[in-house]
Amino acid sequence: MRKPIVEFIDFGFQYKSQSSPTLHNINLTIYQGEKVLILGPSGSGKSTLANCINGLNPFSYEGKITGSCKIAGRETKTASIFALSKTVGTVLQDSDAQFVALSVGEDIAFALENQSVPREEMIPKVQRASEIVGMEDFLLHLPYELSGGQKQKVALAGVLHDDVDLLLFDEPLASLDPQAGMQAIELIHQIHVEQKKTVIIIEHRLEDVLHRPVDRIVLMNEGRIVFDGTPDRLLTSNLLPKYGIREPLYIMAMKYAGCTFTGQEVLSDIHSMDLSPFEDKLKKHFRTPVKRSAIPATDEILRVQNVSFSYGDGDVLKDVSFSIDRGEKVAFIGKNGAGKSTMAKLLCGIIRPDRGEICIEGENYLQYSIKEIGEKIGYVMQNPNQMLVKDIILDEVELALLLRDKSREEIDAAVERALDMCNLYGMRNWPIYAVSYGQRKRVTIASILVLQPDIIILDEPTAGQDYYHYTEIMNFLDDLNRKYGITIIFITHDMHLAIEYTDRALVFSDGELIADDSVFKVLSDDDVITKASLKQTSLYTLAKRLDLDPESYIEHFIAYERMKKDNEKSTS
Amino acid sequence: MKSPLLNLIPGDTYLHKLTGKTKVRAFVILLVYIIMSFDLRLILPLFIVGIIGLVSLRPEWKTLRYFFIVVAAVNLLNIVLFWLANPDIGAFWCGGSRTVLVSFTKRLFISLETLWYLSIRFLKMITSFLISMVFVLSITPSELAAGLYSIKVPYKICTIFSIAFRYIPDIGRDYENIKISMQARGVELDPKKVPLMDRIKQNVLILVPLIISSFERVGNISNAMDLRGYGRGKTRTYYCEHEEGKADKIFKAIYTGLLLFCAFWIVSRIIYPPPSKMWYPFS
Repeated sequence: MRKPIVEFIDFGFQYKSQSSPTLHNINLTIYQGEKVLILGPSGSGKSTLANCINGLNPFSYEGKITGSCKIAGRETKTASIFALSKTVGTVLQDSDAQFVALSVGEDIAFALENQSVPREEMIPKVQRASEIVGMEDFLLHLPYELSGGQKQKVALAGVLHDDVDLLLFDEPLASLDPQAGMQAIELIHQIHVEQKKTVIIIEHRLEDVLHRPVDRIVLMNEGRIVFDGTPDRLLTSNLLPKYGIREPLYIMAMKYAGCTFTGQEVLSDIHSMDLSPFEDKLKKHFRTPVKRSAIPATDEILRVQNVSFSYGDGDVLKDVSFSIDRGEKVAFIGKNGAGKSTMAKLLCGIIRPDRGEICIEGENYLQYSIKEIGEKIGYVMQNPNQMLVKDIILDEVELALLLRDKSREEIDAAVERALDMCNLYGMRNWPIYAVSYGQRKRVTIASILVLQPDIIILDEPTAGQDYYHYTEIMNFLDDLNRKYGITIIFITHDMHLAIEYTDRALVFSDGELIADDSVFKVLSDDDVITKASLKQTSLYTLAKRLDLDPESYIEHFIAYERMKKDNEKSTS
Repeated sequence: MKSPLLNLIPGDTYLHKLTGKTKVRAFVILLVYIIMSFDLRLILPLFIVGIIGLVSLRPEWKTLRYFFIVVAAVNLLNIVLFWLANPDIGAFWCGGSRTVLVSFTKRLFISLETLWYLSIRFLKMITSFLISMVFVLSITPSELAAGLYSIKVPYKICTIFSIAFRYIPDIGRDYENIKISMQARGVELDPKKVPLMDRIKQNVLILVPLIISSFERVGNISNAMDLRGYGRGKTRTYYCEHEEGKADKIFKAIYTGLLLFCAFWIVSRIIYPPPSKMWYPFS
């Protein structure tokens, strides 16, 4: 008989500050030794559910519990968060903020310190936990010296002590580059198998989590469980598109090819699944011609020539050259520290090249001040909360023009145009903190567009967004590009974004530009993928298994998808 | 991220290797020692010890020089003002005599007593600064927290120190990022182009998003701490607080002796007040 470790019975939860419950009627049992993925779009209640398991609800966020939730036989209503933390180890999404100590060793020891464990017992425990996650050589390192993936490993080691049976990961992939994300999933699986821990992962990126097998997927929507079963059953169903979860790329490719599922297939592992029933259809689909939308040649708007830059010790950018045409959509790709953010700062004129030349519309930009460059190249930060300084949307949007002492009429006209472009005109008098994250993102874009720049640079525009909001933001940006001819540069490590929305990828690694090519070519080049910490897409694997050329297969997929999207747009 | 003054990684010199407990206790007792008297016979040895201590830490003199110049200048100004306020202040401290050396006007003169008193005062300030410098340079924030905890400061207050040092660089980085985006939108921060008042106003603009994003972070930090049992018990242990070595034992003997001496000194001064308020060899 399997022992239940998490048991929800007719469970509901309502935050004190909200008028209706966030969770309804949850019935869910998770057994010791299971590995479960809790899947759902933003606002589906999956994080609330996680916080009910680790005790943050109702300890930190007050609220009313109905029904029952037992963790290892203990009712959470009456247990303290401290008692629960002995059973449940939680790794939070923000790998930086949860690093509370000043060195790796101290952070791993934090839970032990709080239990007043004597130091001589603490040292071997910290050593053991750090070895499990592979951080034993970093015990004296400072948090500022670590990558996001390493910080996450430390956070994991910090909850591995003692009798913690259940490991809970809240969006473990959100702040990692593709390769680090893949390694995180591998590490979680390894700990699940070797340490025999029960694992619960909260995520909306299904394909990345399925890199290693999970026993069960629980799909949530609007505070209810809408599916609870094996990954194979979920993949063969039509629930994913219905609830706004992105399907794995290879499943999409199969659906485009007209493959149908009976519900009995084993699909969750692309490497081992039986492709024979689908092979003919997939190959036939690959041979159907698709319209390759040629990019009309336009004039060059930006040219970077032999640019190098250093902050004093060693070049951050080495001899980088490229050019961008008007109306292009380009992705800057590379892991943290590869030089893509430095490149963006150089383009905005915040720092200037040590050597080399940057030209905007053929003019050397050294003659312009930051303020003047800001009228040609706009920069939108990742977190809109770091950009918004006013209370009212209208005030925020007109700020840049007020700072330039423009006349009232000129300001009003430009502001109206920018608000219109971003579909915010109707909301112009709303307070900024009353609108959603996606709308705030649009406000920041409007506040840049008001200067009528030719180019905008967006730093991770979709970070932390679920598929629905991701699509919303990206379609909006696509429209801006199409309707107004604005050149867009995305700084990203999201491969899906690059595939679906950009024409070209510039890949940075250790300060060098190692690839400047169409996305499908970049994604089928093994060398580039390893150097830039990217990850093979499942399309690559699918193509290999079908004995097709991965490059042309990915190209076909992208072209087909664009065609389909265009058709949908023209019919709607 | 490297800060010239604070070290986050324990150093490897003799003083660096002491435990946080030893460093904090020795520092507190030395402060009492320096505050309790105006006696050159007590201050001068500590001044020399302070210099030896500072040299032994092998600090970066370039940054330190700047601090020393500022502190020396401020204290010089301080004693000049003291002298201007009351040129005869030495008489009060040195037992009532007045040996005038130079006289400018009837009110403004330099007496040997005042010169003595103000010189000792200056030396005392510099010595306390030296000792503080040695303390700051030798300790890491985590050791400071552990050391404070060892003198019975509640651990929640100790944590404030280590947490502050942990997140200040992050906030600095946020500030940099926000500044960049504001500059691109047209906020001019170049001191050559914009008057000071406007620059202050523009900086306030940057503070709004900075405060909001810092609050977001605070929520995450406190959750992360709760989830690892912070605040559960009345006591706490410290991973960074290593076992006491030979040096710690020697220091313990020294600072205990010094504590007894301070107690004896203070008590004896209360019971048998000396004829003059400070030691003055020329009376």
